[in-house]
Amino acid sequence: MSEEHYLELCDSPVQFENASSVNNVFFDEANKQVFAVRSGGATGVVVKGPDDKNSIAFRMEDKGEVKCIKFSYENKILAVQRSPKSVDFINFMPDLPHSEFSQECKTKNATVLGFCWTSWNEIVFITDQGVEFYQVLPDKRSLKLLKSHSINVNWYVYCPETSVILLSTTVQGNVLQPFAFKCGTMSKMSKFEIELPVVTKPAKIILSERDIAVATIYGQLYVMYLKHHSRTGNNPGAEVVLYHLQREGACKRSHILKLNTTGKFALNVVDNLVIVHHQSSQTSFMFDIKMKDTDSNLNIHQPVLPARSIHPYKIALTGPAAVGSQTPVPCELYSSTWSVFQPDIIISASEGYLWYLQVKLKPVVSLLQDKSKLMEFLLRRRDCKMVILSVCSQMLSRGDKGSLPVVAIVFDKLNQVYKEYLEAEQSYTMAVECGPSRGSTAHKRPVRTQAVIDQSDMYTHVLSLFTERKDVSHKFIIAVLMEYIRSLNQFQITVQHYLYELVIKTLVQHNLLYMLHQFLQYHVLSDSKPLACLLLSLESTYPPAHQLSLDMLKRLSTANDEIVEVLLSKQQVLGALRFIRSVGGHDNISARKFLDAARQTKDQMLFYTIFRFFEQRNQRLRGSPNFTPGEHCEEHVAYFKQAFGEQAFIKPVTL
Amino acid sequence: MISPRMATGMQEKQYTPSLLNFFIYNPKFGPREGEEEKKILFYHPSDVEKNEKIRNVGLCEAIVQFTRTFCPSKPAKSLHTQKNRQFFFEPEENFWIVMVVRNPMVEKPNKEGKPPTIEYQEEEILDTVYGAVLQQCYSMYKLFNGTFARAMEAGGVELLTQKLEKFFYRYLQTLHLQSCDLLDVFGGISFFPLDKMTYLKIQSFVNRVEESLSLIKYTAFLYNDQLIWSGLEQDDMRILYKYLTTSLFPRHSEPELAGRDSPLRPEVAGNLLHYGRFLTGPSNLKDPEAKFRFPKIFVNTDDSYEELHLIVYKAMSAAVCFMISASEELGREFCEQLDGLVGPQLTLLASDICEQYNINRRVSGPDKEPQFKFIYFNHMNLAEKSTIHMRKTASVSLTSVHPDLMKILGDIHADFVRVDEDEEIIVKAMTDYWVVGKKSDQRELYVILNQKNANLIEVNEEVKRLCATQCIVTRHLNGYTQTLYLALIVSLLWNAII
Amino acid sequence: MAADVHNKAVPWETANGSLAPVERLRQDRCDSPTPGLVEGTEPGAGQDSHMFVHAQSFEDLTADGDDTRAEAAGSENTSRLGEPADEGAQGLPSEEEQVEEKESHPGSRAKEEDVTSEAWRRHRKHVFVLSEAGKPIYSRYGTEEALSSTMGVMMALVSFVEAEKNIIRSIHADGYKVVFLRKSPLVLVGVAQTLQSERDLSRELHYIYYQIISLLTLTQLNHIFQHKQNYDLRRLLAGSEHLTDNLLKLLDRDPGLLLSAVTCLPLSSSVRDVISSSLQAAKAKNLVFSILLAGSHLVTLVRKKDQYLHHMDLHLLFNLVGSSSSFREGEGWTPICLPKFNTAGFFHAHISYLEPGTDLCLILVSTDREDFFNLSDCKHRFLERLRRRTAYQALQEALKNPSYSVSQVGIPELRHFLYKSKSSGLYTSPEFPVPYQSEEEQERIMELYQYLHSRIHHPTRPLRFIYCCGESENLLAWVTSGFELYLCFSPLGTKALAVSAINKLLKWIRKEEDRLFILSPQTY
Repeated sequence: MSEEHYLELCDSPVQFENASSVNNVFFDEANKQVFAVRSGGATGVVVKGPDDKNSIAFRMEDKGEVKCIKFSYENKILAVQRSPKSVDFINFMPDLPHSEFSQECKTKNATVLGFCWTSWNEIVFITDQGVEFYQVLPDKRSLKLLKSHSINVNWYVYCPETSVILLSTTVQGNVLQPFAFKCGTMSKMSKFEIELPVVTKPAKIILSERDIAVATIYGQLYVMYLKHHSRTGNNPGAEVVLYHLQREGACKRSHILKLNTTGKFALNVVDNLVIVHHQSSQTSFMFDIKMKDTDSNLNIHQPVLPARSIHPYKIALTGPAAVGSQTPVPCELYSSTWSVFQPDIIISASEGYLWYLQVKLKPVVSLLQDKSKLMEFLLRRRDCKMVILSVCSQMLSRGDKGSLPVVAIVFDKLNQVYKEYLEAEQSYTMAVECGPSRGSTAHKRPVRTQAVIDQSDMYTHVLSLFTERKDVSHKFIIAVLMEYIRSLNQFQITVQHYLYELVIKTLVQHNLLYMLHQFLQYHVLSDSKPLACLLLSLESTYPPAHQLSLDMLKRLSTANDEIVEVLLSKQQVLGALRFIRSVGGHDNISARKFLDAARQTKDQMLFYTIFRFFEQRNQRLRGSPNFTPGEHCEEHVAYFKQAFGEQAFIKPVTL
Repeated sequence: MISPRMATGMQEKQYTPSLLNFFIYNPKFGPREGEEEKKILFYHPSDVEKNEKIRNVGLCEAIVQFTRTFCPSKPAKSLHTQKNRQFFFEPEENFWIVMVVRNPMVEKPNKEGKPPTIEYQEEEILDTVYGAVLQQCYSMYKLFNGTFARAMEAGGVELLTQKLEKFFYRYLQTLHLQSCDLLDVFGGISFFPLDKMTYLKIQSFVNRVEESLSLIKYTAFLYNDQLIWSGLEQDDMRILYKYLTTSLFPRHSEPELAGRDSPLRPEVAGNLLHYGRFLTGPSNLKDPEAKFRFPKIFVNTDDSYEELHLIVYKAMSAAVCFMISASEELGREFCEQLDGLVGPQLTLLASDICEQYNINRRVSGPDKEPQFKFIYFNHMNLAEKSTIHMRKTASVSLTSVHPDLMKILGDIHADFVRVDEDEEIIVKAMTDYWVVGKKSDQRELYVILNQKNANLIEVNEEVKRLCATQCIVTRHLNGYTQTLYLALIVSLLWNAII
Repeated sequence: MAADVHNKAVPWETANGSLAPVERLRQDRCDSPTPGLVEGTEPGAGQDSHMFVHAQSFEDLTADGDDTRAEAAGSENTSRLGEPADEGAQGLPSEEEQVEEKESHPGSRAKEEDVTSEAWRRHRKHVFVLSEAGKPIYSRYGTEEALSSTMGVMMALVSFVEAEKNIIRSIHADGYKVVFLRKSPLVLVGVAQTLQSERDLSRELHYIYYQIISLLTLTQLNHIFQHKQNYDLRRLLAGSEHLTDNLLKLLDRDPGLLLSAVTCLPLSSSVRDVISSSLQAAKAKNLVFSILLAGSHLVTLVRKKDQYLHHMDLHLLFNLVGSSSSFREGEGWTPICLPKFNTAGFFHAHISYLEPGTDLCLILVSTDREDFFNLSDCKHRFLERLRRRTAYQALQEALKNPSYSVSQVGIPELRHFLYKSKSSGLYTSPEFPVPYQSEEEQERIMELYQYLHSRIHHPTRPLRFIYCCGESENLLAWVTSGFELYLCFSPLGTKALAVSAINKLLKWIRKEEDRLFILSPQTY
């Protein structure tokens, strides 16, 4: 059952002192830092980052209740809001005075809703009447207004990764005005309206910030609207509506995720999957906006998998303080004290835990029957490689009927991705070679995601083991190997030699040499020196292999030396000599080597022929039939003399 | 029979070689005087008088015995006499097959009613060719009946003689001795040129079918009567190929000629139109009377000795042989299943191949009559290619060159057989044709050049050029022909020339 | 008349026998030989009438019914040439000769072999001669007695096939063939593991046949078997087996028998002319041919006008001389039938070496049985005459190296060659080069020549030209209407080289022709 839970909380959560009357807890989405502020900071502030190590602790005077507290990037400057009008700053940079300084919002009688750091020294104040964009000058201990914009604001949502701020405006609050901040500039993006469910009595804010989240999915910025079903509505359940937010152009509705139920929901985005937690049922839905439901062309999505609850989680009873002696107790999931942050953060302030939500792929494999869907799904996940590979080997191990077509599809999907990567790589290297093309942006090396499953992955994790299996018919093994090679060819990916080796090994093992022969005949296994050598080694079991390998070497046309060696090893001295002459290499070959070979054959006539040939070569090249000492042919000269007599030597003709 | 070709002069008659006798005997049967007839298992023509049969068998025994005095292990293979040639073959211990072929002869009429004088042309028959024909007879028998020994075990002499009668009665009529030549010696397989990708498609087709119809033990795939894939071992495939291309396919050729868009009923399987049909077994599945009997064949007779149903299924120019253990019962259900599964896929595949083939053809450009003709054979994979034979079936072998040239090829081949070393032989015939024979690394290539007043070097250059150009043409072509032509170059340029 | 005789005997002679006038020949001689060299203008072509009834190839040997022709010839001219070998012993070798023969070769043939042994089977070429009664007459290896049953089977096979009005030709198996030759009243069988063609072997069997005829005449042979069907001919041939043995050796080694031609002792034409003329001067009434040999080389041959000697008969004479040392002991006098001339009658040959210890052997052939002393006298006249001339020294010199090295031609890759001038029936060939010193190698290369020869002279599919690259040699054969050429190259020789070699060689032969050939044969 446990492998049914495809969601889990990370097992190394960030722990902090749980919220209490004396201890306020704040979370900064930008730096993913938890602030534990004891009695307004006087008794200390503890900041825990995403990784427990760099927790910062400090004290600050208690100047009233802290409303909001955030570090700028790299923890350079701390900003604290205590009053509705102003924000205080504290330098955390070494060799700069640690004393506070404060900034009031410019707009008269406006209240500061909150602030967001957009860089280490740039900060945005969001007031009920607009936004003010400042640069902090820590050495001057003052701020400089860069830009401001006045607009009625109900509430705001900040997306740190893209430093985009969404402002809720209008009475119903359903018109959203995005601003984008980038090194000292503030750009207003086109505003858009969220379609609300039919409302009964208007003129009160209907769109609450709880129903809006911003996240990047597959590299695109989306505004997610959790749309509760209208009481009068005819649509059965709530749904999540995704608005695609582009830098230019209007933001449009792009996806609808069907929840088919109602109740309290919370949103996360994990590994580009939209996770919708449903509190009442204590389960979560998982959506992949790239997964096309075959029927609907308008992007309405059903959950990828049936809803499941997060994998049960145990925690030490008394929070962090306790030394983990007590037996851990199960932690209440989907608790009402949970607060969920984008993209993948769940915080239980009462227990003092911060978790990252994670997707477990293994359970998905068993839950998602359709292999091609499964592959598509997995290929889009971050840590997919091992899972995919295990899926492959598992798929092969059950050599059940009609699985070949599936195998084919799976291979094709893998190689599709593989090919795309290779092409990117190639065009990159090409671009690099051509140098910076007319000053355009420097070429970016394509990232190799885990989804790129290359031949060596397949070989080491799937195929090599698979071919060892005794319980699978060799027919199937070969069929699978051929299917893989077929797929690679289909995507014009050059097949690696070790795959051929695998094919050959398998064929030889089952003594299917005629099959092998046919494959080579149709160049299914393409030429290469190693392959040729492999074939040579097969000659004893299958004589034709010799011819096959020689042909291959000849076709390679870079292997003349090898050919000569092969022929000599077969004592075909004459053949070797004729061959090397046919390719015009006979003036540079070692006489010694050939004479040795000729001697070994014990064939007097042959030795005579070869010896004569080299005598004539000497004559031609050096004007004398004699061998030079450098050629080390003395013993052969002696042998020739003893075998055929002095008069048999070519007489040196002096011209 | 008279062949018009040679009918020279007015009344001179030319007779081509013809089958005089064909008999099978075992000297161990009927060892005692008077029992000689028991030795004879089959005799053609059957109407020969008993004593003559016995005499002829006796002669063969004597010849074989006699030659053993000079080499016990290698007895006689052929006997040359003025009027005929006899070929001896011992396929299984003590079982001898003998074929007696009459030499071709010219009948010269004499004046005033004197009987015409007959001149026997003793040099016209090539031992290698007819020796091969004889062995083929046995292989073909074995393919459909298994070995003699098995028949003996199963049902003794009676069964064996029955089988022999049944098979050879029909088979001998299909022997056309006048049109036998070098190709019969090679008994090669012509492979269909194909690009790698299409070949792999065929591979996965075969694999899928074998997977979903697990009864299937072996599969062979042919296109245009040329082999693309064989699951059978080489030697079995060799003879099966012979049967398919010289006997089965020709019998079913007619509908094919009509081509794809013929009024032929296209089978409708599922909602997909396909053109598959059985060449063996049921001629029409729709027919309620349809019979589901398939010919049986015997393969791997030296070891596992398997008996198989031979299902030949064809769609357009693509033919597939499915072989299933004979112990399985094959009925309508199976055939329909197969038809439904294979028909559509094979139809698609066939048109794919056809497309590829035409592309290649376009690449290689229009094939015009070249200056040369050649026969290529590779002993290692039995690959065979001939531009000399327009068409080679059991009945007709249309060669585009003069029979004497073919015989010269035969002579050269005979020389190659004698020595197992690589050799090249170039001859100029009296007709001034050049004939080049090359044997290199288990390959044989024969080229006939029609360049009357070329000298040796020119011929050599010509052959080189020929290969080069052929190769350029085929470079775009598929793997197989490429290997073929590369083989040509390799073999021809093997000895460096100048 | 004699001319008629031989015209009848060898009708194809007219084909090449019609001799062009010497002048035309002279002007036709061109220094660079053209492929189409017409017969009579090729290097080595005789400038005068030919010495031999020469054969274009061995067809004349195997052509059917030639012995009937010969017999016809015989019956017609016995009166004049060669005495009738009618009744009885007169024709048979005289006692002392037989004795002498026996002594000269005491058990020279180690024939006691186990005919069932591997060793016996491994012999490259067996030859058997038997009578139509199946009685053994000759076996090359193993005693006839031991083989009588085998020969019986052979005869059985022959007659069995004949019973069907058919003729047995040969049996073929892997690695060897059995060839039958029916020459009533004899049957000859050859069993060979060589590359030779069936017809080539049959040619050799013919030689053996004629060898036997040359001892007995066909007339006598027929006569004997007419009288006694199962006569044991060995009684009559006793002591002559070594002739057949030797002939078989020659057939395996001597290109002359293959080419139907004879090779000459290289000698400057002036010297040769002197010798010829002195031989010509030493004539006698019944003298038909005077032949001077140096080993296996012909020095010169003088013949009676209009009488032609068939090269085969000459080879039989060579064989006779070559196979018995007896003639070294003194002047020999022996009856001999020259079957190609006349199978019916005997000639009488005076055979003697010019001087003890020399290779020069003189053969004087007469039609008269009583001619011994006349011929002996001829010899002395010739010798005296010759001794007085300086040419004699030159001849002695030439004897020192009766052959020449192929390197003289100056083509390094060229190892050996045979060149035959068709019109003169003479051939020339260098000594075997270094790697071919052993008997096996020589027989192997001869076998290759035999192979080329039989291919190029194929009865129904003759060829103009053959080139074949093998593992140990590259071979080339080329036949024109004027000459036959067989070349043996290093296996690393190229085709281009071969082609240029042909021309170079023909030029060289043209240059050397008056040394290598007898351009102007003499007649009495």
